[in-house]
Amino acid sequence: MRTISAALLTSLLVATALTPVGADDMTHQRALSVAKEPHNWLLHHGNYEGWRFSSLKDINTDTVKNLRPVFTVALGGYESGGRYKHGNLQATPIVENGMMYVTDGWGSVYAIDVSNGRKASIKWKFDPGTDRAWAGDVACCGVNNRGVALWKDKVISVSLDGRLFSLDKATGEMVWERKVADPAVAETLTLAPLVIRDIAIVGVAGGEYGIRGWIDGTDLNTGKQVWRTYTIPGPGEPGHETWKDGKERYKHGGGSVWVTATYDPETDTFYQGIGNAGPDWDPEYRPGDNKWAASVLALDPTTGKIKWGYQYTPNDPYDYDEVSEHPIINARVSGENRKLVVHVARNGFYYALDRSSGEFILGKQYVDELNWTTGLDPATGRPLNYNPNTDVQEYRPGSHGSRAKPKSDRLCPSHYGGKNWQPGAYNPELNLLFVASIEGCNEVETVEQKDFVSQGGTVKPRERFAGGAGRPTERLYGSLKALDPTTGETVGRLRLTYPNYSGVLATAGNLVFLGQYDGSFSAHDAKTLQEVWSFNVGTGINAPPITYSVDGKQYVAVLVGSRQPQNLWNYAPELRHTSTASMLYVFGLQ
Amino acid sequence: MKTFAIAIIIALAALAADAASAQAPLSPDDVRAIERGKEVYKVKANCQFCHKWDASGDQGYGGNASSLRKTFLNEEQFAEVVRCGRPGTGMPYHDQFAYTDKRCYNITSVELGRIMPPIGEPLQRRDIEAVVKYLFTKAVGRGASTYEECVEFWGQDTRLCEPMKK
Repeated sequence: MRTISAALLTSLLVATALTPVGADDMTHQRALSVAKEPHNWLLHHGNYEGWRFSSLKDINTDTVKNLRPVFTVALGGYESGGRYKHGNLQATPIVENGMMYVTDGWGSVYAIDVSNGRKASIKWKFDPGTDRAWAGDVACCGVNNRGVALWKDKVISVSLDGRLFSLDKATGEMVWERKVADPAVAETLTLAPLVIRDIAIVGVAGGEYGIRGWIDGTDLNTGKQVWRTYTIPGPGEPGHETWKDGKERYKHGGGSVWVTATYDPETDTFYQGIGNAGPDWDPEYRPGDNKWAASVLALDPTTGKIKWGYQYTPNDPYDYDEVSEHPIINARVSGENRKLVVHVARNGFYYALDRSSGEFILGKQYVDELNWTTGLDPATGRPLNYNPNTDVQEYRPGSHGSRAKPKSDRLCPSHYGGKNWQPGAYNPELNLLFVASIEGCNEVETVEQKDFVSQGGTVKPRERFAGGAGRPTERLYGSLKALDPTTGETVGRLRLTYPNYSGVLATAGNLVFLGQYDGSFSAHDAKTLQEVWSFNVGTGINAPPITYSVDGKQYVAVLVGSRQPQNLWNYAPELRHTSTASMLYVFGLQ
Repeated sequence: MKTFAIAIIIALAALAADAASAQAPLSPDDVRAIERGKEVYKVKANCQFCHKWDASGDQGYGGNASSLRKTFLNEEQFAEVVRCGRPGTGMPYHDQFAYTDKRCYNITSVELGRIMPPIGEPLQRRDIEAVVKYLFTKAVGRGASTYEECVEFWGQDTRLCEPMKK
């Protein structure tokens, strides 16, 4: 009896040693301590705070000259669908102990074994079978998916046609799927889920098609919804009074959510950037400030309850969508220790807010050219040309179209921003934010928006609801900028040939990595911003780079493959014949 | 005599061909051209991005695109707009050498200046003929699009077509 017990005990111990239960599970505790695992890239923005910074430094300003591509992997997902000729790659890879998880634009997930530094192999692929025509026809700006999240022993992903998936991390087998967004009313999903404890948080895209935006929490244990919070408040909710049309137009008020939020564990709050009001370019359709479009919301992850909101561009007539990340930084501002949530906004200004109250602390222009307002009110951060006595904002006359005068003059920054969705990075050792921006100007035009059929008009669900259009009028370019987050000062700048859509990675090797439209992938000295290394991948780069290490060797990885939109070729004809591709590139020191 | 007989035969053959094209199904060449034109419209030149899958027109990032179902242009004029674009609007040109000489509206890019139309996907003459044939067979003058047209365009009963079911 005793012998049997000992044998059983031994076998249990052996089994435990061989399959340490949950050793690789992605737990909340582990998500809070990613800094202890610099060899991995476990969270979408690198950490919950949204820094996209790695403490790895074998690749540094001295060694980067020896950086070479070490392997590449061809992916899929560039099939046409809906109104798109091909999908694009925009995902941030997730890396855990030599396994990488990436997505293509149609939402296929690839688990890639990168443990061998000389070649990689796709261990499994999960293709959700997206209805490409259905979803692709209501994706405003491309066939995109920005990546996955890890939770316990699962990979959590989304598809453009509105589904959320829980996949077995070892095999790719689907455990459950939940229909979260409905393309029948032009709702799509493109962002990487944010997992906080056992809740997956996603938001809806579709701001050009008359959606009413929301953020949604799913219990990952059950695959069931636990909460949904509309970003455009309904009757009785704070902010509803900023929809003054009296015709229930908040029901199609936009406020989409398509970039992963940041999270402050100390106060258990997540910070979600909110997109443009709908329709984009006919502000007369929606008199009032139109909260919480073009805003940031601070929310409770367990209940989805809004703690506070701050609006950047009230009654936005430009499409200055503020979905991009809101990094969390503790810093001394004017001699005081402050807990900041900061934002490099599409409207051309940098903002620092108090993250417990939403109080405006400081704001400063960071784009080269800005002409829609003369500045920000130093007390409130409101645009100086904001007029509290009117419901339809003019801002600087001629900076946007109106029903009386549909064509705008030159608008700076162009309606693309500033900084669009592409993520920036924060190097805490240098206390610098790195921003890859879009610079230059364009024009926007207003077309009087018709109502939805349900509200007595002619617009059917899934039809465009943008109230006009933007128009390229000059060549746009880009910048890599270094910002001091405590003052908003731009302390370094480098002109880039192309407007940036890849975002950046910052490392303790004092490097900043970024990709460009023409396929150049480059490393820059974090102190001077000068390019210190580059490699051209031969197709456009629209995805953010990351870094990780395996067996002590550091790698830099980026998804490449995009062909730029026609509105860019007009002023950059050298890109006209670029072909798309769908590849993972991984670089290492040789 | 012999020449006369041959001429009559040719003339009769031509008449017969005309009659056939008016009544009989499309020739295999026509079917292939229409299929190719659809591919150009849907994917290669991505006309549907602005004009919508059923060519009924749309507003969007590319500007405000007209309904091709309601066009008043004839095939020749239509082909010219595909080749040359429409100066001062968002309609791109697809002959990549347009405005390098005076082949389009007898004008060059320098003379057009700020109203130069945008660059579209370069198309060959064969593509342009095909897309015009496709649109004049499947869209122009046909009224509102139907569920059947939707399924035919997408090649499957995608949920996109569902709301059009009667």
